Amino acid sequence: MLSPSARSEIQALMARYPRPRSALLPALYVAQREHGWLPPDVQAEIAEIFGLEPMEVHAVVGFYNMLYEKPHGTYHLEVCTNVSCMLRGANDTVDALKEKLHIDFGETTPDGEFTLDHMECLGSCGSAPVVFVRKSHSDWGRYYENVTPDKVDAMLAELRSGEDLPMHRWPEDKPYHHDYFKGNDQWPATNYILSRIDKPDSHTLDSYLADGGYETAKKVLGMDPADVVNEVKTAGLRGRGGAGFPAGVKWGFLPKDVYPRYLVVNADESEPGTFKDRLILEFDPHSLIEGIICTSWAIQSNLAFVYIRGEYMHPYKRLVEAIDEAREKGFLGKGIFGTDFDLEIIVHRGAGAYICGEETALLSSLEGYRGHPRLKPPFPAVEGLYAKPTIVNNVETITQVGHIMRHGADWYRQWGTERSPGIQLLSLSGQVKKPGVYEVPYGITLRELIYDLAGGTVDDRPIKSIVPGGLSMPQLTADQLDTPMDFESLMSAGSMLGSGGVIVICEGEDIIPIARRTIAFYREESCGKCSPCREGGVWIEEILERIEAGQGTLHDLEEIQHIAKYIEQQSFCPFGAASVWGVQSMIRHFRPEFEQYILETNPDQKKPPIPARPIYRQYHGQPLENKLD
Amino acid sequence: MSDWITITIDGKEIQAKPGELLTEAAARAGIHIPVFCSHPKLDPLGACRMCLVEMEGRRGKMLVTACTTPVNDGMVFYYNSERARDARAGTLELILANHPLDCPICDKGGECDLQDHAMRHGPGESHYWEPNRHKEKNYPLSDLIVLDQERCIVCWRCIRYLDEWEDKPQLGLFQRGADTVIDKFPGGDLDAYTSGNIIDICPVGALTNRLARFRFRPWVLEHTNSICTHCGMGCNLRIDTRDFRVRRNVARANEAVNETWICDKGRFANGFVFSQQRLTQPLARIDGELRPVSWPEAIQRVVDGLKRVAAKEGPAAVGGIGSAKLANEANYLLGKFMRALVGTNNVDFREGSSLKADPRGIPSIQAAREADLVVVMGSDPSEEMPVLANLLKRAAKRRGAPVIVIHPRRIELTKYPGVHFHPQPGDEPPLFDALTKATLQARGQAVPDWLAGAEVTDEVKEAATLLVNAQNPFIIYGTDYAWGYGSASIVQALTNWVVASGHGDRLGFLHAQANAVGAADVGLLPDMLPGHRPLSDAAARAELEALWGASIPTQPGLGYSGMIASALGRIKALYIMGADPVGEKPSYADHLKALEFLVVQDLFLTETAKLADVVLPAASYVESNGTFTSTERRVQAAPQAARAVGDSLPDWAILMHIARRYAPDKADFWRTASAPAVFEEITRAVPQYAGMSWEGLGETGQQWAWDALEVSRKLAPYAKLEPAPLEKPFTFRLITGNLLWDDGNTFAATERLAQLGHKAAWLHPDDAAGLDLSEGDLIAVRSREATLELPLHISRRVLPGTVFVPFSLKDAPVGELFDEFGPRTTVAVYRA
Repeated sequence: MLSPSARSEIQALMARYPRPRSALLPALYVAQREHGWLPPDVQAEIAEIFGLEPMEVHAVVGFYNMLYEKPHGTYHLEVCTNVSCMLRGANDTVDALKEKLHIDFGETTPDGEFTLDHMECLGSCGSAPVVFVRKSHSDWGRYYENVTPDKVDAMLAELRSGEDLPMHRWPEDKPYHHDYFKGNDQWPATNYILSRIDKPDSHTLDSYLADGGYETAKKVLGMDPADVVNEVKTAGLRGRGGAGFPAGVKWGFLPKDVYPRYLVVNADESEPGTFKDRLILEFDPHSLIEGIICTSWAIQSNLAFVYIRGEYMHPYKRLVEAIDEAREKGFLGKGIFGTDFDLEIIVHRGAGAYICGEETALLSSLEGYRGHPRLKPPFPAVEGLYAKPTIVNNVETITQVGHIMRHGADWYRQWGTERSPGIQLLSLSGQVKKPGVYEVPYGITLRELIYDLAGGTVDDRPIKSIVPGGLSMPQLTADQLDTPMDFESLMSAGSMLGSGGVIVICEGEDIIPIARRTIAFYREESCGKCSPCREGGVWIEEILERIEAGQGTLHDLEEIQHIAKYIEQQSFCPFGAASVWGVQSMIRHFRPEFEQYILETNPDQKKPPIPARPIYRQYHGQPLENKLD
Repeated sequence: MSDWITITIDGKEIQAKPGELLTEAAARAGIHIPVFCSHPKLDPLGACRMCLVEMEGRRGKMLVTACTTPVNDGMVFYYNSERARDARAGTLELILANHPLDCPICDKGGECDLQDHAMRHGPGESHYWEPNRHKEKNYPLSDLIVLDQERCIVCWRCIRYLDEWEDKPQLGLFQRGADTVIDKFPGGDLDAYTSGNIIDICPVGALTNRLARFRFRPWVLEHTNSICTHCGMGCNLRIDTRDFRVRRNVARANEAVNETWICDKGRFANGFVFSQQRLTQPLARIDGELRPVSWPEAIQRVVDGLKRVAAKEGPAAVGGIGSAKLANEANYLLGKFMRALVGTNNVDFREGSSLKADPRGIPSIQAAREADLVVVMGSDPSEEMPVLANLLKRAAKRRGAPVIVIHPRRIELTKYPGVHFHPQPGDEPPLFDALTKATLQARGQAVPDWLAGAEVTDEVKEAATLLVNAQNPFIIYGTDYAWGYGSASIVQALTNWVVASGHGDRLGFLHAQANAVGAADVGLLPDMLPGHRPLSDAAARAELEALWGASIPTQPGLGYSGMIASALGRIKALYIMGADPVGEKPSYADHLKALEFLVVQDLFLTETAKLADVVLPAASYVESNGTFTSTERRVQAAPQAARAVGDSLPDWAILMHIARRYAPDKADFWRTASAPAVFEEITRAVPQYAGMSWEGLGETGQQWAWDALEVSRKLAPYAKLEPAPLEKPFTFRLITGNLLWDDGNTFAATERLAQLGHKAAWLHPDDAAGLDLSEGDLIAVRSREATLELPLHISRRVLPGTVFVPFSLKDAPVGELFDEFGPRTTVAVYRA
């Protein structure tokens, strides 16, 4: 049973949204905080509060990783084992944790203190390996970063200490990010998006105001909204979520005179290798809010949502605090800055589902459903959230809007290329000396990024392969290091810029485990809606596992390509197609390595045994009277 | 948008409607693009990726799903291109990879879309070497449906049906990715009333009929296109038989009626046909005991008995009771026999003369699909007619039609926005008066003096305004207001409101029984002749006298309850066909025992039949030909689907035999040797049926026109309704009504359904708390007449101060409680 206070908290949440069902995920968080997990009777109670069938709540709970269907230990340790972390020794961290706690994945220590799990990308690839820790019966969660095996003891000791622990990243250091512009004669002596990150208390309103914050928003509110759209269009700002669609053009798709309209900021940063938005959310949330104000004015929306991935608990807290500060100052709420323009921002936490980064799946999730993508058309700009015109843009995109409106489109266009103008954040991870977030103009080459800015690879090993734009993008090889990092150049190189997550893989790494780990992520995160992605991903993973186990045949490589072809060409949403690009490119680039491994481990090319026959009846072998009917 | 456009598929030009889906346009041209998730009655989803075709786009040919692609003029598609065929084969290969391939024992085998598509579009080989993924098999979703998650291809049809049609999303997807399964909420069974439709629409064998499975292979079944006779909706279904036994019922399409859906009662409650309890031979009371006799002997006894009484006491001492559950042919012949041969107008059926119903039923079911306002008064469509209820839910949910509910219980439809009134029994007329007054005021019309005192609240004003402003309101009232004490006042009061709104001609009555309209059409009423012509209509009498070869008595007869009441007086013989008055009100047994002669013709040895002098075993509608007229006046054929049980005979045939023996001299007027021939005679006796024929009814029936019968509706004052007194200890008002899962004979004969019958008396939580009662406690409901003991069900669906006892509960017949206030009496409720 829910306590009266939890009930009233849930009712208050329902009142925040235009449609109460949107409050389902937040309500489930409230219930989970109270019970530690979500027993069926509590789910039924929530269903009753929302006026839903219990099944509708249960279906949602089952979709999201961060909603528990069984009790967990006091601390839930989730170790990221995705490719970036794997390349930086996450598996050793896992071994160390298993050894110290004497438990395997999915198990809880006998004292009920720790539950251990592996985890898909946490958005902290620059500080791999990462452990995400949640405390049950609370809203506490924290990222433990750079947890090499030698730091496991310290982490566990701190958790065991019983002290009230802060939520900011552990250790306290700010993450590495590179100031490209500093000391470079070619460019102004500062960077923009990340210019304030290093300042003390950069996340506070005072600090933001001291740097001239919100002046741009005030200025923009005096402009004709159409002029704002035009300015962004002229600047050529490309969406930074992955597809690179020009933001101003997207805004132009809004049907005339249809209101309300919504702005939804996509902060569900989950593509492995991407961790740039988190920096903005955590250290400069006001710059995002200012971008939201400018964009909302441009598209004439009075309600904006920020859909932030559930694991970003600290960034969530920072953003909510920043919004409260801004509201107190009259920068948000009714009649902002003394104008008659109202604007409210609702920060909505996801609950652990990669697919919710896909814009239509995000909208489904935000409406309180399982995060399944929807049919397009209608596109969100025409029929989005609550079937109203909706603009979905990435955090970095919206933040850049603020900078563009501050300095002007010409200023923005001085960087980058003709078709990819301006600046971008690149997340660099994997086997490089200085992984982190890099603010650079479009068009710098991979070589510049990796060697000039990041100081080269770990131990100066030669590069084997590069993921240029998030794990789903086709990999490039060492001979493509001079490819400029802009949308068009990467397209001609056979890949895509995506969300700008660059993962560097050095010689000496086996490609098969990386391929298997890549497809495992997309198998794990497939929403299950369409047949190809649901059935194909797991099939490819099974084949790769079998190859790894020494039962592969050369024919299996054809088989993987065969399955991947169907997933790529006929999945429901773009994420399905993208789920196999990585594996396809690895087989394309490293086929001899696959073949060599297969021939070495299975020289006779023995085929696997035929699977056992299915059992037809539950009660087979028993007298007929015992069967169900 | 009525203009046709041209699209091209594989180089062939095809006419299509603008905006329709490619699957639909192609199907019209004979190209059947394979689908799984797509269903003509469900919203497009595009999940299964089976229907891929190539489309000529700006950037060359691209694969699109035909089931989600609306067509525009000039679009070019390739269905048979190599890439499209390869893509479809690929989808099938992926879907089949983990399919259990237990086709040899799968109920769907032979009628499975996956088998068919794999055959036509599949890759022809499997590349899958990995171990199969295992999920739940033999997993019951309810007492009626079983799920096999391994066979499931996750097309969501079942989920979408329950959500989009019944608005009870009780099935959902759980987990995600490859682990995605269809499941229900832990511990909660499916209780949607039309859940069985998900079996029909499941494209594979994932959902199977728990009552029917493992008992046949689909290809050995014989199909008979028939209808359902459990309620007045007249849903079309197909009865599948093997070895002359009914194996299952499945829905059959009739776009005007049930589209492609039937409710669970219609699907599953077919066990009565081959129940062990069926009467298989005629019985006669010999030495005080019912003993088997031959048909000739039984018929002779009936003829002798009736003749004896008619001769001794006069024809007016004989009566015939028919049934709204039986075919037109049976009811027609009973009326003809009583009027023409016995010479009495004592004919009726339970829902006949005593029901203040509009004989035309409702204007049309189609009207529900176009409704912009739903008004439901004294009826609970969710329980009485679930398939119609689904149409009303869709009107509310999808088209935003407000729902006005006026009912003594908080029925399911009250979950939709609108205005809901729950007047206590006896308070209905003042509410309708207020609505009438507000409506007249809203329309700027004069309010008659007798309405001047009505109290108009804001809610009343809102409801009145909604009805006045509606363009296509769907307005129905039902049995709960039209039957029993005070119903004349209530029905006049509600009629006043609807008439005042200007929508008087849209007011319909929802007949709960399969053939209530038909039984009245064929004249089984004490004061009406076939074709709703009054007995006093000399021309009509003359017409029928010519047809029947006999004169028709002019004195109106007794009605259903009149006949039974008079069994203690002037009625001496009754012929009861398909009715069970004693089961409904056990004290009627004393009346029937007083009769000199009682004939009962039924499927079962009912409580009434046990008192009979002759019991005639009737064949059910499944085992005989017959026509039924639904609540929208649709006359539909129900052809024989199975061989009759034992020596049972169709009702019409029994009556023919009796009539010919009763009056051999009139045999020329009793020559109809088949149900279609009887129907042919009916079309001559009932003007509304003129021109119809058994063959002409076709697969989807024929409707007689709403305006073929004029029913006068006027704003008029009416007798004030004096409610039953609330005085200690009778402090609760009794409410009765129909539940779908009733406990009646035809329902409970299906074994697994019998346990679903909801046998309980319902109280509001506050009342239960006040009496210190909890769920399941045995309580007594006592009226001035009798006491019933029932388990308690606590529900917010009933109002405080009322106790709800459904009809048809076995061993707890609510009719026993009725006193002079009938079903609107007051009762005492206490712990038994």
